[in-house]
Amino acid sequence: MNELKKNKNKVFFSSPIKLSSNHLLAIEGMEKSEIQKLIERADYFANLDRHTNTKVLQGYVVLNVFFENSTRTRVSFELAARRLGAEVINISLINSSIKKGESLLDTASTLNAMRPDLLIVRHPHSGAPLLFADYLNCSIINAGDGRHEHPTQALLDALTIKRRVGYLEGLKISICGDIANSRVARSNIHLLTTMGAEVRCVAPSTLMPSNLENLGVKCFSNMKMGIKDADVVMLLRLQNERMTGTENPSEREYFKFFGLDEAKLALANPNAVIMHPGPMNRGVEIASALADDTNRSLIKTQVEMGVAVRMSIIEALNHTKNNMKKN
Amino acid sequence: MTFTVLKSIKVLNPKTYFNDISDVVICNDKIFSICKDFKTEVSHQDGQINIYDCNGLTMSPGLIDMRVNIGKTENLTAIQKIAAENGITSMVILPNQTPKLNNPSIIDHIKRQSETPNLTKVNIYGAATKDDHGLEMSEIGLMSEMGAIGFTNGNKSIKNSLVMRRLMSYAAMINRPIIQHAEDEDLSGLNKASTTLINGEMNEGEISTRLGLIGIPSCAEVIIVERDIRLAKLTGASYHVAHISTRDSINVIREAKKIGLKVTCDTAPPYFALNETSLLSYNTAFKLSPPLRKEDDRLAVIEGIQDGTIDAIASDHRARSKDTKAQPFSAASVGASGIETLFLMTLELVHKKIIDLNKAISLLTINPANVLKMEKPSLEKDGLADFIIFDENCHDVINQNNLKTSPTPFDQRKIKGKILGTFINGQLAHINQMLKNRIIK
Repeated sequence: MNELKKNKNKVFFSSPIKLSSNHLLAIEGMEKSEIQKLIERADYFANLDRHTNTKVLQGYVVLNVFFENSTRTRVSFELAARRLGAEVINISLINSSIKKGESLLDTASTLNAMRPDLLIVRHPHSGAPLLFADYLNCSIINAGDGRHEHPTQALLDALTIKRRVGYLEGLKISICGDIANSRVARSNIHLLTTMGAEVRCVAPSTLMPSNLENLGVKCFSNMKMGIKDADVVMLLRLQNERMTGTENPSEREYFKFFGLDEAKLALANPNAVIMHPGPMNRGVEIASALADDTNRSLIKTQVEMGVAVRMSIIEALNHTKNNMKKN
Repeated sequence: MTFTVLKSIKVLNPKTYFNDISDVVICNDKIFSICKDFKTEVSHQDGQINIYDCNGLTMSPGLIDMRVNIGKTENLTAIQKIAAENGITSMVILPNQTPKLNNPSIIDHIKRQSETPNLTKVNIYGAATKDDHGLEMSEIGLMSEMGAIGFTNGNKSIKNSLVMRRLMSYAAMINRPIIQHAEDEDLSGLNKASTTLINGEMNEGEISTRLGLIGIPSCAEVIIVERDIRLAKLTGASYHVAHISTRDSINVIREAKKIGLKVTCDTAPPYFALNETSLLSYNTAFKLSPPLRKEDDRLAVIEGIQDGTIDAIASDHRARSKDTKAQPFSAASVGASGIETLFLMTLELVHKKIIDLNKAISLLTINPANVLKMEKPSLEKDGLADFIIFDENCHDVINQNNLKTSPTPFDQRKIKGKILGTFINGQLAHINQMLKNRIIK
């Protein structure tokens, strides 16, 4: 917080952001300045510390459409929208229409016919929110699509780091774990490299996607080397639901080589912080004691920042749309 | 008797390398004459005569499309008609349709049902194994007697090495080729019986990493090709790899040909005209099997076409309904339409100066006939009048809205060339307005 007060730029972004698109579908392709503004605006909301009480989005209808289980992301979006005065309806489509055989586009156009302002979509298939954006005329936020992207998570991670460390450029950030199956990793890679951080990816070779280095990161299959001198150690959940059984011999073997424990963390920068998008598998990717170490673990802050970041995005999309209408 | 006279047409006959401007006369189902200056009076005594001014146009034997999938919702007669409109006078259909083409009676039935004088001729690949598990050999001898011209498991690889060995050995005995869709199903994740179920969606590499789609490594193709070539050597079989798509496989086939094995392969337009970057917008029209590969693989396909390693070009037609394609990429169906763009996309290789016109026509006519041991298409006196008339240089744009099958991976592509007429058994199977306007009499 003290770091933040020093930040002179803060004042400039205490007004809504205008984005270049009606949607937030992916971090890849976003301009650095846009990311920066969203983070600054989210920082402003975080400082308000729940006392928003704004009605700027009164009458604005948000549909939270989740085709996959989620608790934290859904609640976080809902709180964000409500704090801005919007109406939120949660729709869980994990079982209903899909089981009845309705196609995704039919579901989408049904929802569209109810004329919402914003659709927040989580879907197990990569690229599904892009399909929504192609066919619907409301704004779309990608709340996680398959293995592709989870843009709001990357933005909230960036805000969390920024509030703790003060800056992103030049930071050594190690993203460790199941990179192949992680949309969080992809969004973070795009965001952090765009913002000038030095990003390293650490994963067993079976969970490292091919040609990842072409995304501007360094790849390590040895965790000790991968987190050496790191300022931030970002852990990923081992996504058992996306695994096929041949990626990893066992959880205990995974923890031995790729779980974060005191010994491995000792190789990082002494002030290094630990992050995890949750939910955590304690004793698999992170030693339980480290997860609870409030001096080093930012895991709870991440959750808190999630609301602020999503407020900034929802507000920005509304602002962008209103501006487009005027023009 | 009806005579059709094509005045001053460029005759392109890859069988004899004949390439000259002549007058061509068709009578009944045969070519009556190819000569420099046909006197219409000669044959005018009895019967009707149609004369076309074909100045600036080209004729070649009708195209043979050696790989067409007939989808669940497609009607064979309708596809025959569309194929004829696009210059295909003979096509080979795959056995993996419903019901499966895996016994002699169904082969016979489809052969008879599809025999219509002015529609594209239908040839059939029989199913190499009785069911999807690929473990029991079908009655390939009996199917062969009924007219099956080769054996394959369609869009599934013949996986079991022992089954493949025996199939090759048996097929060699009856002098029929085995056609393989070369893909290691465990690597590509298509082996549903496997406990390690993944579901390969596109070529593995940087693009699959960016898109978060599951990659199929390109070696999944060559692993099967290499194994099969060893079995072809062991058995002396004629072995043909369908829709080849990677540099490694093409290299392996080049070497096999050098040592004299009876190994051949074909490719399809997407593999020489597109690469994996087309998928960057998750456009499901580009979800194909094999998947679109890297640019280096595309260049290898072109080199393979140029040096003759790749024998033929097939449409690999696998049309899909809009409903199954308007889905998230992972859930969308695999395949794209092809019969309407086969000729145009092959002609693009000529316009890009990659191959000459004679070679392009060979890849679509005489070469597939050689691979499948079919009668060699030719334009010569007393030969069967299966041919096409086209304009090489007519500018056009491929537009999905004007096509009868979907999805095309070539929507909005600028092309040059147009089929103006198709004759099958001497009968007019297709004529467009441009050719109608050229009727003199």
